[in-house]
Amino acid sequence: MRKVLAIARKEFGSCFHSWLGVLMAALFLMVSGIFFVILVLNYVKISMNPQQFGLSNFSGINQTQFIFGSFFTNISIILLFLVPILTMRSFTEEKRGETLELMFTYPLSDFEIVAGKQLGIVWFFEVLLLPLLGYVAVYRWIGGEVDWGPVLLGFLGFWLLANAYLAVGVFISSLTRSPMVSALGTFSLLLVFWIFDWVDDISSGIWARLFSELSPLAHYRNFTIGILDVQDLVYFGFFFFYFLFLTLRSIETRNWKS
Amino acid sequence: MKNSHSDILIKFDKVSKKYGSFHALRDVSFEVRAGEIVGFLGPNGAGKTTAMRVISGFFPPSSGRVFIRGIDMAKHPQKAKKALGYLPETVSLYPDMKVLEYLRFVARLKGVPAHELGDHVRDKMSFCGLLEVGHRLIGRLSKGYRQRVGFAQALMADPSVLVLDEPTTGLDPTQIREIRELVRALGQSRAVILSTHILPEVSMLCNRVMMINQGQILASGTVKELGSCLKDREAIHLRLKDRKDHDLALKLLRAMPEVECLNTEEEIKGETCISFETSPEEDLRPRITKLFVEQGISLVEIQRKQMSLEDIFLGLLKNGKLGRRFS
Repeated sequence: MRKVLAIARKEFGSCFHSWLGVLMAALFLMVSGIFFVILVLNYVKISMNPQQFGLSNFSGINQTQFIFGSFFTNISIILLFLVPILTMRSFTEEKRGETLELMFTYPLSDFEIVAGKQLGIVWFFEVLLLPLLGYVAVYRWIGGEVDWGPVLLGFLGFWLLANAYLAVGVFISSLTRSPMVSALGTFSLLLVFWIFDWVDDISSGIWARLFSELSPLAHYRNFTIGILDVQDLVYFGFFFFYFLFLTLRSIETRNWKS
Repeated sequence: MKNSHSDILIKFDKVSKKYGSFHALRDVSFEVRAGEIVGFLGPNGAGKTTAMRVISGFFPPSSGRVFIRGIDMAKHPQKAKKALGYLPETVSLYPDMKVLEYLRFVARLKGVPAHELGDHVRDKMSFCGLLEVGHRLIGRLSKGYRQRVGFAQALMADPSVLVLDEPTTGLDPTQIREIRELVRALGQSRAVILSTHILPEVSMLCNRVMMINQGQILASGTVKELGSCLKDREAIHLRLKDRKDHDLALKLLRAMPEVECLNTEEEIKGETCISFETSPEEDLRPRITKLFVEQGISLVEIQRKQMSLEDIFLGLLKNGKLGRRFS
């Protein structure tokens, strides 16, 4: 465990060594901030004069859901661009620098290497997540009533979704030596998962159901509207560990080429 | 060391490694004991790096077994790797980490206990002469210093087996001397394997040499043994003015029983070089000169040379077998 933490700490630190990590953090905060401000202003506009917008269009509307529900839905799209860039250097860098070769000669199991790398990148993402709590503070400060249940559930869902995406990214980066290929590959795969969500809208039947059940977004949606379903937790857990397992396998392939 | 069994630190048992249909190592077996510095000698692509990667557990061999301190690498890789320090061919490390930070990271990975970590790292840094660069980024260090960081990382957790892949490549002469002194100091209590294609380095550093080509060990012996083999060999170089005489000269030389390993090299301006090996008991030069003059061959130069490690090595590479010298 100590070795896993050592790798994770190194991985986490390397996110700050280059400007890329800092830039990504700044960009993420900026875009999420814009989303938040727009949502708040929209809500203010509507609540000033509900008749003009026709309240019937906003059935079941409440502050928390309008602002934070939509907020979490919107920022899930940022992940599509953020995750490939965060994970693109994970294994590719080590392969190019041949530092992975060195790591394999240390008394480490492959699992420790993969777990450490994954954990480090998750930590970095969690650092990005922290300032989002500031939005909750701002929301309270301007007089909003925070319904903690759905808000925290939104955070949980967003964290789970990001973990799942990051596992995909780390897996793709373990397949190639080029960060560019890794980023594009991760983006494409995430896009495919995203599109799965649309299948249900276009058609119906068993296949449509299957695809929409496979989509992370479909499971994420429950969290944004304040529903905690064990199915979704199981789905994200499975998704994460499945890709972790694939990464492990892809690292082990060096033993197969004989 | 306590007993003879623990004395053998590295053991290769009929190890082969294939990349697809390419044999990088074929049935290689050898043993290395504590206190030995073994030099792997061979041209590029001979299988040196593959052999070192197999020792260091980077990948398993296609067949055969590797033991480090009597521990089977395939069965207990983590236990075996604990006794191992590896310096790769290109020491690239993490350019954006500081030296101290990096070495602490390696020490943790190698399982140095937390309370000893600081002292242990400082100890290795002072041994490798790194104390004054501890807070500099690895990427900003000169090649020589980076090589030392590589050494320090290999030495973490005091491994009893050191595997050094071309430790002196790309360094300037002063740095090479420093690294050699490091290796010599390290080799006193450990088993050190180093690969190189610089021949003098081997005779300077190693007490045993293994010549490798095409995945096979061509020759193995202590530097002394090889040296004594060299003493009873010598080479004679001939230079002919006229190319027409070439065939006749070869025919005459082949007829002499003392001549071995006959070689011809085309030279500029039509002058041809012929060289061969012989034993130093009898000086063949007067006989050859007389013979050539009688036959009217345009001999312009005849030279007798003590054979160097290089000549033997090149001869081995060309013939691909040991001959009688090392058998």
